[in-house]
Amino acid sequence: MFERITEPRARDGRAPDVFRPGAWMPMRCHADEEEVDFAIVGTGAGGGTLAAKLAEAGFSVVAFDAGPFWRPLEDFASDENAQGDLYWTDERITGGADPIQLGSNNSGKGVGGSTVHYAMVALRFRPEWFKARSKLGYARDWPLSFDELEPYYEEAEESLKISGPVHYPWGRRRRRYPRRAHPMNASALVLARGAERIGIPWSPVPLATLSAPRGMAHPCVYRGFCIYGCSTNAKQSVLVTFIPRAIRAGAEIRDQAMVGRIEMGKNGRATGLLYHRCGVWHRQKARHVVVAGYSIETPRLLLNSACAQFPNGLANDNGLVGTHLMIHSGPGVWGEMDEEIRSYKAPPSLAVTEHWNYHDEGKDFHGGYAFMSGGPLPGGWAHTLIGARGLWGMALRQEMTRFNRMAGLRIVGETEPKPHNRVELADETDQYGLRIPRVTFSFSDNDRRLMEHSIGSMRAVLEAAGARNLWSDRDSSHLLGSCRMGDDPEDSVTNADGRTWTIPNLWVCDGSLFPTSGGVNPSLTIQALACRIGDRIAAMAKRGELGR
Amino acid sequence: MPARIPEPSRRPLLAVGLGAATVAGVAGALAWRWWHRSERAEISPTRGLRAGAAVLSLAVLLDSGIEHYRGSFENPAMVIAPTLALATLGMTAVEDRAAPYVFGAALAVGAAGVAFHSYNIGKRAGGFDMLNLFYAAPLGAPAALSLAGLFGLAAEHPDVAKPERVAPVAALALLGTAAEAGLLHFRGAFQNPFMFAPVTLPPIAAAATAASGISPLVAKAARPLLLGTALLGIAGPILHAYGIHRNMGGWRNWSQMILQGPPLPAPPAFLGIALAALGALPALERTR
Repeated sequence: MFERITEPRARDGRAPDVFRPGAWMPMRCHADEEEVDFAIVGTGAGGGTLAAKLAEAGFSVVAFDAGPFWRPLEDFASDENAQGDLYWTDERITGGADPIQLGSNNSGKGVGGSTVHYAMVALRFRPEWFKARSKLGYARDWPLSFDELEPYYEEAEESLKISGPVHYPWGRRRRRYPRRAHPMNASALVLARGAERIGIPWSPVPLATLSAPRGMAHPCVYRGFCIYGCSTNAKQSVLVTFIPRAIRAGAEIRDQAMVGRIEMGKNGRATGLLYHRCGVWHRQKARHVVVAGYSIETPRLLLNSACAQFPNGLANDNGLVGTHLMIHSGPGVWGEMDEEIRSYKAPPSLAVTEHWNYHDEGKDFHGGYAFMSGGPLPGGWAHTLIGARGLWGMALRQEMTRFNRMAGLRIVGETEPKPHNRVELADETDQYGLRIPRVTFSFSDNDRRLMEHSIGSMRAVLEAAGARNLWSDRDSSHLLGSCRMGDDPEDSVTNADGRTWTIPNLWVCDGSLFPTSGGVNPSLTIQALACRIGDRIAAMAKRGELGR
Repeated sequence: MPARIPEPSRRPLLAVGLGAATVAGVAGALAWRWWHRSERAEISPTRGLRAGAAVLSLAVLLDSGIEHYRGSFENPAMVIAPTLALATLGMTAVEDRAAPYVFGAALAVGAAGVAFHSYNIGKRAGGFDMLNLFYAAPLGAPAALSLAGLFGLAAEHPDVAKPERVAPVAALALLGTAAEAGLLHFRGAFQNPFMFAPVTLPPIAAAATAASGISPLVAKAARPLLLGTALLGIAGPILHAYGIHRNMGGWRNWSQMILQGPPLPAPPAFLGIALAALGALPALERTR
């Protein structure tokens, strides 16, 4: 990104055509006073996916995003630092015993949301996790089962043309992935070799990047800048999949539009929202409002929309909005190999073992974790060395000379849903005059035992693969929960359809719905949920149940 | 799941397919006419075998040259395949006493190549799993060099290489080549419907060719199928050229995309084998 994009691009009846430099595609636009069927806040894995589903079902849809409408072929540079604009770096307060580092690993800003910079890992939840309390004895049950979500996992995988192995060793028997797996890079082969030597299964990672052409999108060229924005469109982010679909089906995408408040009517129903675009506050009328701003911005908006009728914030009668925030713990283990690894080649995570997601014997903790081969770029690697090992000056430079021989593994580790891990409003306000979120997070004892266990597993794999001088670091990724779905209005914010219990035309559709975090990257599950919610809404509309 | 998930963007697929078929048809017709220019009666089995060996040699020369270049000729032995393919190509063009030795060497080196590629696959993590069959050294490719040598040798010994013997060998070779195309097109998830062509027509042609010794009628039926297979061998590189265009940067980025995209010189193997089989057909069409 060579210059900051400040002006909206999607307006006046057209939106950027992400597949052709400089080109536009026609877009249906709505006036603010026109009451649309659905106003969606956020265009990422949840909101962008749902916008396409609802528009294709025939609803009038406007989806808002606070960030720009990127043109990946033109905007994205091969420069780690220049790509920082992809992250949500607005002011936030983070605290607790283990403050979450906010930005690159968990929040995106721009049409397509975090999927523009995610690592494309497309894993399904372990089926039992949907009934974690009843079947595995910890945390909570989801209000839906794996069986109910399975067809939507399939739909999401098909929509993203996931490149996966012919046989995936874990989980239920499944339909073949739409595309074949990518070749392994040397970093992935280290995991594979180590896993084979200690006798646990491994697999190529199912990834949302093309291994064969799709329309105007090229197959992956293994450039390795995936988490800094894919400039080739091989990455099947929401920006190049569901967003063009949504626009073609009649949805309007409003970029550079920060939603500050959901407006309520006297009858206890939402009537629309206030959003800030081009320096002015506008009011969009809508029959339904869907909040899809992810685990921090979603509760923040609900809390910031407090009014006389809902003084604690919307959908927050039971005080659960913002609570039970989860992340994925992410300790990593690194070691030096004899051969060149050059792990920055190709997508960062090409090999995975979900062994400890599916095998519970011998664990001194609840939950699971997957670990994947790592692929840091040089800037990121230097940050790791500075942060984890305190290297600086000559010591850092010398260590950097070993960069090409480093191999590493990092987990996606489940954390427990705890009420004190939460999003609240601080008194400070941001550039829009909106109260900023305060995020509090601390690992539980169980979370810590899981991390220690995982470090032992990763060390064993790396040692078996021949790595020397092992050391570990701490990191985290993803956000989950904060507006959890459930069966009981007393104990959750929404039902299984993402419909809030207290306001019938207010919905949530993103990762904040998760009652538990699971030990895999959340995007595919968010998109499966969005596909399901889209179908459910269409079915309810047919039966006349939307207006109640 | 909804019956059909809308695609975010499209390509003019039909136009490309029709274009490729037309160009291949015209090119094939011109080549056929040129091949028949001094012909009164028909192609002899020897000529078919020699033409087949020549086409296969050219395909192996380019394919192994490009692929081994991609592998940076990391093992010095990787120069042998293209060098030998160049030699067999030369031997199909001239009369030379060294020919049988060169063809024999190609036969042996091709077999050694299959063994060497197998060893390479086996030692990788995952062993003979699909991922390694997709991306490690291609298991079946060196067999094309053996085939070039075999056809070359056969052309030298018409008394041994009788049409009824050539036909089943060519049929087997067609099946092997179709299997390799099938594996690699499966790797490409058959994203373009034309990718099904080399796994449908050649196996049918192979069956008819293998059975062509049974009756002249079958041999006559095999002819259009083999001509179609030969045409596929010409259409293949055109479609693969389009495939390269669909990769990042397309032909403007040719030096990378010829390596990353679909292999340009691979499909003519079908042409080479079909030519050898077509040479054997006239005799089989006449028998009894």
